Amino acid sequence: MNRNPAIHWIISDRQRLQTVVTLLVLLLMIAAFSFLNPRFLTLTNFQNVARNTAPLIISASAMTVVMIARGLDLSVGSVLAASSVVAATLAVQGVPLPLAFLAAILLGCLIGFANGAIIVKMRVSPIIVTLGALNIARGLAYLITPSAILVGLPRNWGSIGTSSIGPFPMPILLAVLVVAIYAFVTRRTKFGKHIYAVGGNEEAARLSGVNVERTLITLYVLSGAMAALAGLVLSTRVGSGDPNIGVGFELEVIAAVIIGGTSLSGGEGRILGTVIGAVIVGVLSNGLNLSGVEPFWQYVAQGVVLIAAVVVDKRVNEGVLRMGARA
Amino acid sequence: MPSGAPSPDAAAPLLSVSGLSKHFPGVRALTDVSFDLKRGEVHCLIGENGAGKSTFVKLIAGAQKPDAGTIAVRGKSVVLNGPRDAKALGLAFIFQELSVVDGLTVAENIVLGDEPGRGGHFDRDVAETTARRLLAGIGFDGLDPATRVGRLSTAEKQAVMIAKALCANADVIVMDEPTSPLEEQEVRRLFAVIATLKAAGKGIIYVSHKMREIEEIADRVTVFKDGRKVATLERAEAEPRELIRLMVGRDLGDVFPSKSRQPGPIVLSVEKLSGARIHDISLSVRSGEIVGIAGLVGAGRTELMRSIFGADTVSSGRVLIDGKPVTPNSVRRAIGSGLGLVPEERRAQGIVGVLSVFDNLLLPWTEFPASRRETGAPRAVAQRTAQTMDVRTPSLDQRISLLSGGNQQKVVVGKWLAMKTRVLLLDEPTRGVDIGAKREIYRIIDELARQGLAILLVSSELPEVIGLADRIIVLNQGHLVGELPGTATEPEVMELSMLHEPAA
Repeated sequence: MNRNPAIHWIISDRQRLQTVVTLLVLLLMIAAFSFLNPRFLTLTNFQNVARNTAPLIISASAMTVVMIARGLDLSVGSVLAASSVVAATLAVQGVPLPLAFLAAILLGCLIGFANGAIIVKMRVSPIIVTLGALNIARGLAYLITPSAILVGLPRNWGSIGTSSIGPFPMPILLAVLVVAIYAFVTRRTKFGKHIYAVGGNEEAARLSGVNVERTLITLYVLSGAMAALAGLVLSTRVGSGDPNIGVGFELEVIAAVIIGGTSLSGGEGRILGTVIGAVIVGVLSNGLNLSGVEPFWQYVAQGVVLIAAVVVDKRVNEGVLRMGARA
Repeated sequence: MPSGAPSPDAAAPLLSVSGLSKHFPGVRALTDVSFDLKRGEVHCLIGENGAGKSTFVKLIAGAQKPDAGTIAVRGKSVVLNGPRDAKALGLAFIFQELSVVDGLTVAENIVLGDEPGRGGHFDRDVAETTARRLLAGIGFDGLDPATRVGRLSTAEKQAVMIAKALCANADVIVMDEPTSPLEEQEVRRLFAVIATLKAAGKGIIYVSHKMREIEEIADRVTVFKDGRKVATLERAEAEPRELIRLMVGRDLGDVFPSKSRQPGPIVLSVEKLSGARIHDISLSVRSGEIVGIAGLVGAGRTELMRSIFGADTVSSGRVLIDGKPVTPNSVRRAIGSGLGLVPEERRAQGIVGVLSVFDNLLLPWTEFPASRRETGAPRAVAQRTAQTMDVRTPSLDQRISLLSGGNQQKVVVGKWLAMKTRVLLLDEPTRGVDIGAKREIYRIIDELARQGLAILLVSSELPEVIGLADRIIVLNQGHLVGELPGTATEPEVMELSMLHEPAA
């Protein structure tokens, strides 16, 4: 076994190793883009990336725990759209903004609850249930308003998306808050342990007296709520309520979670990894934009990074196993 | 000794069951079973598969509800509505499929469902202290509570399950075939733990197929047959032949067939085979010969089988059949050359559960177009194979997953008979099947050898290797460390597998 204590600390834990590897990939990407484009490595651009990535980080944090518990939520992109148009519609009709935002979050919770309840009580696969919800929520968004609401929004509509506290843009602060809460919950609470138990071995969790059904439903409710919050951050920043936003958002979220090292088969994953995964997705599109790469190629690049991340992870894991076996 | 629920009557048995019955549509799974468990005793349950042991265990676990009968815990009659009720009453279950969560640590697993900490907060320090204390109590002080359970061996995972039972203040601990996945020295360690639990006044229900273990640890033995309790014997009366007679209702005589086979010319030669986990292994098997491979888990037994079969990558050396080299690293070529493998994990590697018996039997067949396989020659071959192997199934079109473990295994062996197989590699051919089915599988293996097949056999059960093999090859850490005649004794084989360190 390796004598270097720092290296040993890193490779002694699979998840930790994975986080470190992902972080290295991110740093490598930053180095490459900085080299390619002088405008990349500036404070303004970093703030820009962070602001753009905030909705992704918020929703991906919630998705991480859903996936650790062996679930999946494909409806987040549509929930994001539905909740933004609900908030915008209410705001246009003169409902105070906090109430309009609250209504949007509640809508997210409601869709999440429906997802969770059907998955758990009727024992339907999460892919099917949330795929259905994806269509239903998108349909609702268009029913509420067939086109983007741009006029009539109150002046303080941008209170989340464009304001700052000190030098810190509000979206970033919100994302940090969400990440901190999720990281704390997964690491330091009983509920957090139950999430890993449900995903790792549902039967064992049940036999140990863990309330598996309630745990899962809670996670879907929170996923809906976080998708709605991401929707508010996004739509208040761009200054509209648009039923078209967030198409394909769920795939970006899932990509971030997987690049961050959460396993599709459940039981493993960490919030920190997801944050790095989300930033990789954000930096990639920002860096390619600045380098003048056509948007269509960005899809290709994102796909390549996703697959590469999983392949590299598998390779590294096998390598560590071999080192362990040799020791 | 602290106990979860205060006992209303200290003299009452920990668990007493009377008149327990359970019927499934068309099957009387359990009929009028009475049973009791005292403090500080190990009460073994034996019986063939389908004799009612599992149904009995499911009923006292609350996983199923009895049609009739009563269950009393510490003298108090109870109704179990689910596994949680059983847990609350101090009953703990350690099944073969261990209910641990690989992604959580040892301590987190032990306290799962009953975590320490105020409100929703998880107090890791208290959890780890508790875990350390419980593990030390059963002699596993070396196990770090902060280790992820996924990194542990099966034996260590069992220790975690036992500590978890103690954490929940269980005083009835049910163990279902706990030693099947264990190595000899791990079994010793488990028995030491069981002795500790006995001394602490716990009662243990121990389900097993293995006579030697029962002889060693049982205080009483209850024999099940056809859903009924046949007898409960005191330790002194529980003599293996008597137990077998009670289980099968007849005297089995010798479990193993006689070894009066006449080996022919060499069929399989392995020359200096090396791969990831095996090093420089040479051996040969004659036609009509059974060669056993012994060694501890991790000695490279399964890897050797898989390498010969082309399923694991070989870095050097070669495999010859009838003197002709087999193209390495290709399962298809290996099958074409006359090799057949019965893999270790039947459910995962041996059968395709959703397919029929017929489809499973013809799985290695590639030369028939799919449309013509349903009728004609293939059907006849499948029919004949099923008959030779004595596969008990209502029809060849039955889904294989609905058959018993023993019958599934007959299909897995049988599919190679339907081919022109010359060499059969058997990896743990009787794992998880009952003694009656075992005996039948032994008979079939012997029969196949007599028909001229060369057979290489891996088993964790030494008596099985010794009982069947003409020669025994011993592996240690991927090296071949010695060869013994089929007349070798268990201590001789153990000594080679454990003590004889290979030259590095």
